[in-house]
Amino acid sequence: METVTVRDTLHNSLDIRQAEGDATSMPAKIQAQKTNVHYGDKHALKDVVLDVREGEVTSFIGPSGCGKSTFLRCLNRMNDTIDGCRVSGTVLMDGEDIYDPKIDVVQLRARVGMVFQKPNPFPKSIYDNVAYGPRIHGLAANKDELDEIVLISLEKAGLLAEVKDRMDSPGTGLSGGQQQRLCIARAIAVNPEVILMDEPCSALDPIATAKIEELIDELRENYTIVIVTHSMQQAARVSQRTAFFHLGELIEVGDTEQIFTNPKHKLTQGYITGRFG
Amino acid sequence: MSEMTKEALRGGAHTRELVAAGIRRRYRAERRFRLFGLTAIVSALVFMLLLFVSIIGKGYTAFLQTEIRLPIHYDVQVIDPQGLRDAAEMRRANYGKLYRDGIRSLFPDVESRQDKRKLNSLVSSGATFEIRDEVVKNPALIGKSQEIWVPASDDVDMFVKGKIDRTSPENERRMTDLEIAWIDALVADHRIETRFNWRFFTQGDSREPELSGIWGAAVGSFLTMLVTLLLSFPLGVATAVYLEEFAPKNRWTDIIEVNINNLAAIPSIVFGLLGLAVFLQFFGLPRSATVVGGLVLTLMTLPTIIIAARVSLKSVPPSIREAALGLGASKMQMVTNDVLPLAMPGILTGTIIGMGRALGETAPLLMIGMVAFIVDVPGGFSDPATVLPVQIYIWADSAERAFVERTSAAIIVLLTFLILMNAAAVYLRSKFERRW
Ligand SMILES: Nc1ncnc2c1ncn2[C@@H]1O[C@H](COP(=O)(O)OP(=O)(O)OP(=O)(O)O)[C@@H](O)[C@H]1O
Ligand SMILES: [Mg+2]
Repeated sequence: METVTVRDTLHNSLDIRQAEGDATSMPAKIQAQKTNVHYGDKHALKDVVLDVREGEVTSFIGPSGCGKSTFLRCLNRMNDTIDGCRVSGTVLMDGEDIYDPKIDVVQLRARVGMVFQKPNPFPKSIYDNVAYGPRIHGLAANKDELDEIVLISLEKAGLLAEVKDRMDSPGTGLSGGQQQRLCIARAIAVNPEVILMDEPCSALDPIATAKIEELIDELRENYTIVIVTHSMQQAARVSQRTAFFHLGELIEVGDTEQIFTNPKHKLTQGYITGRFG
Repeated sequence: MSEMTKEALRGGAHTRELVAAGIRRRYRAERRFRLFGLTAIVSALVFMLLLFVSIIGKGYTAFLQTEIRLPIHYDVQVIDPQGLRDAAEMRRANYGKLYRDGIRSLFPDVESRQDKRKLNSLVSSGATFEIRDEVVKNPALIGKSQEIWVPASDDVDMFVKGKIDRTSPENERRMTDLEIAWIDALVADHRIETRFNWRFFTQGDSREPELSGIWGAAVGSFLTMLVTLLLSFPLGVATAVYLEEFAPKNRWTDIIEVNINNLAAIPSIVFGLLGLAVFLQFFGLPRSATVVGGLVLTLMTLPTIIIAARVSLKSVPPSIREAALGLGASKMQMVTNDVLPLAMPGILTGTIIGMGRALGETAPLLMIGMVAFIVDVPGGFSDPATVLPVQIYIWADSAERAFVERTSAAIIVLLTFLILMNAAAVYLRSKFERRW
């Protein structure tokens, strides 16, 4: 049942893409070279080799606990904040190792934004939420510039129309879907190169999900996006490349179309046909 | 099939019965619990009411002071026989003679030396200084006469306030029949009144109850609290932030944590001894000074603030930290922009609890000499001073009857201080509180 739907969705988007003329093989934005992660004694991620291409949406799929979030968090070094978490191997961004001691984490995270599974707006006004990043990085020279950044970010996140007359009300007072879009706006406001999203729609209803997916598709023009998802339809709808993880290993990575229609690995096939996971 | 349905239904009914029986039990337990809660609250309120009624009942009379209206002649011969109008010279004059002449002029028949002395002692010796200060301030009075109100002695004060029973036998009371007759005559002449006791709120301690005031101790308490707050709040919050947000979690931080918890449990008198050894004997800071008191109380308050601050920092949801770090905030920015403001209400509550304890603390301050008899109101952090609870302790220990009401009055002042502090805490908390 499910695979049929996935295939249908795929074929539809495939048709469109072929009509547009597929631009193949974008340059790699991020290159993971034998990345390993340990939580204490637990080997959570094993020798992952993966390229995230510029200007594309890459989705990570796989059963729960397989290390998708762990790998995602390697890409902006959010794992640094977890006690007992060790990352080894190299992760290159634009050819530069982000785990190099010379790299400033703060700068890295300004270039690689992140949207979390549970919407987590600050208990501040909508405006202050979006202005948070520009303020700490000193991106706006004055109030007018800041206003502009906030408005453009909200606009890009598709939230402006809904909140423009209550910019001063708390961000926590929005609905779940609105909060998630606020978090996306907040990430965009720093003008990152890459946006990481960890199951951004798992707490949302289908309509809010559809809005976010639409948004991801639009954002692809300007940003490189990596998304973790449990919904294969979602992966099929929004991503150009898909990576399948299993028990801390990267099993297979390829064009979304190929992964879903013609997986090379038996585990991938089993997962996308719903035999386990 | 129908058999199975019946079975299932019977099962359903059975479950409902069990639940129903359980529900009655649950409700009973809940009612019982509410009753306990209510009883606890009511008894707490009753005790508080009793405390307030008893203290205010005993203490309010100290806010009034019996005064006597005397005709005073500002005699040039006494004050400034050379006519120099030199302030220092005038301060040395014998002003006691002026009020003694005044009261004797009201009772010209008193002849014997002993009776004269008794008559003089109706008026507080403090009248001397009040007349002197008046004259120094306004030398134009010299040579004139006027009627002024001067404080009565503590015995007269107690008698007028009804605390000495005139029907008891003469040898059992502190007031002879003759003195009572004089007081009655003065009252009949409208020369005795109980008036608002401004001395109580503006003076330091004194051997004479009628001249003693709480202001010295209040200023001492204020300065001590100021030192304590200025040291313990930033230190405590910084420690908590470091331990919670920056320090690696290892054996050392565990040991530090255990020791901070131990410090919070140490009896305060030990901190007093520590203060005596370290601040007075080693660093040679002045005895009885508010700065030393503040330092000692800081030692005592720090653990409380650290523990409260750590708990409230812990209660800030991790998603907020992730949001801030994910946007590229440095750890310091995360702490100051997001975590601290959210933890502030809890930190303030802990601080106020710690400060409240410090304000009421007596034992460690006795160790560093803040129990000395100090008349002057402290003017700075190194001046000798005492604090409110120590003042209460000193007065409660004094023999004079008039100090009893002053003890209660001082307690009222201390409680007022505490209530004001708590009110400030509630206000600040509601100001910092953020809705989610
Ligand atoms: N903070 C942590 N401390 C210890 N182990 C962790 C931690 N976070 C994750 N792990 C372990 O690492 C493995 C991978 O976890 P991860 O969160 O990356 O899985 P996931 O693929 O994102 O799963 P899900 O789809 O459920 O989110 C799991 O076995 C998990 O138990
Ligand atoms: Mg995850």
